[in-house]
Amino acid sequence: MGIKGLTKLLADNAPKAMKEQKFESYFGRKIAIDASMSIYQFLIVVGRAGTEMLTNEAGEVTSHLQGMFSRTIRLLEAGMKPVYVFDGKPPDLKKQELAKRYSKRVDATEDLAEAVEAGNKEDIEKFSKRTVKVTKQHNDDCKRLLRLMGVPVVEAPSEAEAQCAALCKSGKVYAVASEDMDSLTFGASKFLRHLMDPSSRKIPVMEFEVAKILEELNLSMDQFIDLCILSGCDYCESIRGIGGQTALKLIRQHGSIEDILENINKDRYQIPEDWPYQEARKLFKEPEVFTDEEQVELKWTPPDEEGLITFLVNENGFNSDRVTKAIEKIKAAKNKSSQGRLESFFKPVANTSAPIKRKETPGNTPKETANKKTKAGGGRKKK
Amino acid sequence: MLELRLVQGSLIKKVLESIKDLVNDANFDCSATGFSLQAMDSSHVALVALLLRSEGFEHYRCDRNISMGMNLGNMSKMLKCAGNDDIITIKADDGSDTVTFMFESPTQDKIADFEMKLMDIDSEHLGIPEAEYQAIVRMPSAEFARICRDLASIGDTVVISVTKEGVKFSTRGDIGTANIVLRQNTTVDKPEEATIIEMTEPVSLTFALRYMNSFTKATPLSSTVTISLSTELPVVVEYKIAEMGYIRFYLAPKIEEDEDEHETKPQV
Repeated sequence: MGIKGLTKLLADNAPKAMKEQKFESYFGRKIAIDASMSIYQFLIVVGRAGTEMLTNEAGEVTSHLQGMFSRTIRLLEAGMKPVYVFDGKPPDLKKQELAKRYSKRVDATEDLAEAVEAGNKEDIEKFSKRTVKVTKQHNDDCKRLLRLMGVPVVEAPSEAEAQCAALCKSGKVYAVASEDMDSLTFGASKFLRHLMDPSSRKIPVMEFEVAKILEELNLSMDQFIDLCILSGCDYCESIRGIGGQTALKLIRQHGSIEDILENINKDRYQIPEDWPYQEARKLFKEPEVFTDEEQVELKWTPPDEEGLITFLVNENGFNSDRVTKAIEKIKAAKNKSSQGRLESFFKPVANTSAPIKRKETPGNTPKETANKKTKAGGGRKKK
Repeated sequence: MLELRLVQGSLIKKVLESIKDLVNDANFDCSATGFSLQAMDSSHVALVALLLRSEGFEHYRCDRNISMGMNLGNMSKMLKCAGNDDIITIKADDGSDTVTFMFESPTQDKIADFEMKLMDIDSEHLGIPEAEYQAIVRMPSAEFARICRDLASIGDTVVISVTKEGVKFSTRGDIGTANIVLRQNTTVDKPEEATIIEMTEPVSLTFALRYMNSFTKATPLSSTVTISLSTELPVVVEYKIAEMGYIRFYLAPKIEEDEDEHETKPQV
């Protein structure tokens, strides 16, 4: 999933591009969320123990609804305006990756059956996680739920990630929230991780800014895309023996995949035959997305109370009191999103004072310090 | 080299008490003109601007413009160790990564040194343009604090409206509503008890009471408070600090939601 090792690569080489932010500080912001990713997480995490899942009377799984309902309310209560983007048809290049995932799931299903027979609890836990698959039914349930909640839903023509990034680039949303790092490769100007994590885990939101990443890595957007392809993406294989760190070095040295291919030692690195890196690059640069105003209309509306009760309580066996309370929360949250921010009135200016603290060692450029083990976010406080 | 000696040390203690809950970490900027600070709360809704002019210090030495990043919670812990009558001196050497607070008792029989580590803080500095405000209200600071505290027990937000009649503070909550109107009143015994309203145009703005109540922690610094309002700008709540400066709090108003978002019913 996503780009291999990109988080670590960025933490080591572009620590200034990532910032820890408080969940609450995103009030009033429109945020595009990759729905499929979230649903997948909910199916794994919410109300599951071993092979047991949260279900309604008919035995259909409802973990995704529970997760989607409570997390979305949490976003709304914090004053955020979420937009959920659903996957459309996967691009042809991703089919290979999907086939791989499918076969992994088949393996896991077999392993699970064995584990159940053997009664090994740890293995049951491990393999049942791997058998989780988001079906069309799950997606449709969530879309229906979100529409009832008054939260906009966008159905992407192809990859949800790409559509999220397009919304962000065109300024329709403030940021993209996902756990999948390829949002950055698609060029989402601001990208948030851990936004959808449960509050109980107390993990701060990690904000990435593409412009700063490029500045810190000293790469162009095209070079960054090449770097991601070399590190390993969903669309094609990567060259064996080249990971993120080497890829960054090669890109800095040669500038593009084409030039790298001309210059590297072909005996040492095996370049895959028929390597479709150009198509992969095209998918990142010009993905199939809606840009039309009509197709991506974002409107937040009051919740449909009766609809929610029918759907959640009557059809899916949710506790009626809890749903009613939750609806009250959604309605109360509507007033919260109107707090203004100072940036909309005052513009940043450069501060003229220099810090009194001496730089650690003269001539130690920020880049070099960055290469040492500066942990993500932790690099700000010295001493 | 930096050395600032403030005879009325309690001032800096009170300043810290008034801002430490709003801002966690901040850069203090020192220049020939004075000791200042600008910082925003983590959600970028409120901003505090502090200025203590160099003339107000008994001794003020600052060789070049420098900034010192401090954790305000820790700074407040140290300043709490100073007595209210103590003389406070703030010292830092060039290139040092610590700042020293020295507390001298008025009789000079006790001298305490506290050294605190500085931090690297990358904070955004906002340019605040000089503006003509549509309405400026000056009133007793204790009265303002009382109003904000009372209203917060009823609702979350306060609407401040200034008209010819006076200034009105109102709120609405689950249990009911509250309206407090103050009229201009200059016939008082002491000048600081006056309520003075200067208005060029009526104005009405909505603010979160949580922030207002945080600002009123500065009440011990000054017996009066000045509230400046304009439709297109954040409110400014200003407390003068003796003869030497001010602490100003800026708060972004609540904005009416776009109407179009309410028009359509969810399509299911």
